[in-house]
Amino acid sequence: MLETITVGAVAYDPKVVGIWEGMRTYFREEARVPVEVVLYLSYEAQVAALLAGKIDIAWNTNLAYLQAEHRSQGACRPLAMRDTDLEWWTEILVRSGGGIRRLADLKGKRLALGSRDSGHAAILPVHFLAQEGLVEGRDYQSRRFDTDLGKHGDTGTSEVDVLRAVLNGEVDAGAVGSPFWAGVRSSQLVPAGAVESIWSSPRYHHCMFTARVGLPPEDASRFTDALFGMNGVPHLKPILDAEGLQEWVRPRSEGYASLREAALRQGLLARSG
Amino acid sequence: MGSLRHAVELRAGAKDFSTGLLNDLLAALASVADGELVALHGPAVLGPDLDRWARFTGNAIVEVTSDGETTRFLVRRGAPRSYDETLEVGSRLWLYSNFDCNLACDYCCVRSSPRAEPRTLPLEDVRRAASEAPGAGVREMFVTGGEPFLRPDIGELLLACSGALPTTVLTNGLLFGGKRRLLLRELPRDRVVFQISLDSPDPSLHDQHRGAGSWEKARSGIAIAREEGFRVRLASTVADAQAEEGFQAFVKREGIPEEDCVLRRVALRGFAEEGVALSRADLVPEVTLTSAGVYWHPVGATDQDFFVTATRFPLVDAIAAVRRAFAEERRFATSLASVFRCA
Repeated sequence: MLETITVGAVAYDPKVVGIWEGMRTYFREEARVPVEVVLYLSYEAQVAALLAGKIDIAWNTNLAYLQAEHRSQGACRPLAMRDTDLEWWTEILVRSGGGIRRLADLKGKRLALGSRDSGHAAILPVHFLAQEGLVEGRDYQSRRFDTDLGKHGDTGTSEVDVLRAVLNGEVDAGAVGSPFWAGVRSSQLVPAGAVESIWSSPRYHHCMFTARVGLPPEDASRFTDALFGMNGVPHLKPILDAEGLQEWVRPRSEGYASLREAALRQGLLARSG
Repeated sequence: MGSLRHAVELRAGAKDFSTGLLNDLLAALASVADGELVALHGPAVLGPDLDRWARFTGNAIVEVTSDGETTRFLVRRGAPRSYDETLEVGSRLWLYSNFDCNLACDYCCVRSSPRAEPRTLPLEDVRRAASEAPGAGVREMFVTGGEPFLRPDIGELLLACSGALPTTVLTNGLLFGGKRRLLLRELPRDRVVFQISLDSPDPSLHDQHRGAGSWEKARSGIAIAREEGFRVRLASTVADAQAEEGFQAFVKREGIPEEDCVLRRVALRGFAEEGVALSRADLVPEVTLTSAGVYWHPVGATDQDFFVTATRFPLVDAIAAVRRAFAEERRFATSLASVFRCA
């Protein structure tokens, strides 16, 4: 049994520090599991640390999880995820009342995409559109906003840029993730009805706690048992709210096939450089 | 209806944001240059959606007027030059001492002239503002107009202000002769700075805007203020980059320190028919008191869109009102940032 279980997370926003302070306190003082936390500024650095055995568990995006899986030939195992990581999708947005009503109308048009390492705002829309017969560069021109590279789209800033480009006429359409689009509408940050979705992608899953190669099963279980022990505990709800979930759930591997294929094809699974 | 000049007219008709109005607006904006204006005519209900769109895209609504049936929204394409966002709201307090003036500069943002209603800020209000300012967090005061030296009590006014805080008085410098020169000598040299307008290195542009002979008289005023031992800042209001460069070269030749030179572009307000169209969203507020109330910034001290509250005192409450208005102005950006969760 490990003396300390080291968990990595990426600080895509200052609030992440507070979230993991709370998580660490819970693990150590309530669950009695000796967790230590290491914060990174990029998923590349975190994946490298996981593969080098410098951390035991990584709180990864879907792309980072698949990168670890690929580079370890499947030895890095999924451990747990959020309920809110299940069933994401990508929306293709256009300005209302314009001439674009369906995917086929995108031919010859300009499409805004988020950061190229964002599964929901770049990797998957390119992949799904190709499956629909629309190839980037050939059938539509892309305007890419690589605003938060290294963060895999976590900050949402590249999706803001995509939506802004649609609203100011720079592009004809834009790809954003379903949580971002829901948040923008519920916060009434854009004129009601000004932008509409002409297409929603197939579903896919998002973040995943990923174990390093050789993490002892009993330590993996100690971690996940403690993690699931947070579910339904009233005084821990603020931490879960901050991290954007109702409860932690067991890994669901079936929602990663499309991203695995897309990231492989776009050269995003193998180590760069 | 409305006072600002615009380049393109657009009528909403029956359209709104959900039925293609945005595409029409974008087409109109594409036909003008950055900084130019499109006048959109439509029902008042378009306002909130137009405001959301403008904030999201970095455009601005610089004027909203109505004739009862139709509302005219003046939309500026793009953002103006950036302003000092490190400025703490409430650290500066501007007082409009009066609105009448011995000149009638053709770009005056508050329409001052010899015929303007004085709307004098009572001396007791100035004294109260000065006494409350330090406790309210103000660190420097600015007195402007109109022409402050038209006031017979300007000496007492400046003594009240400078007795509380370092004070800059904005003046055209033309009225320093006779008795007024004597009252200058009563003012503390280390607490009063004169900011005197000089719009060009030679009389040409300056006199064109301010009146024949005004450049020479301003130079004389600058010399008098310096002779009396005061620090003088030169303030130049310019229309374009060429005029800006010309003035910077002049300042260098004259050996005037950079910190004593204030360069600003003409704001499309008041008498100005050209200039930078500004809205609240473009400016960090600098609390401004006039006889009518409290305003967001001195550049819009007679304009409804810059009006914050009619209640000037206690001063700490007036400043709080401006801070609340600023927080509301920033709410959009704050809300946008809070939409994101990871991942």
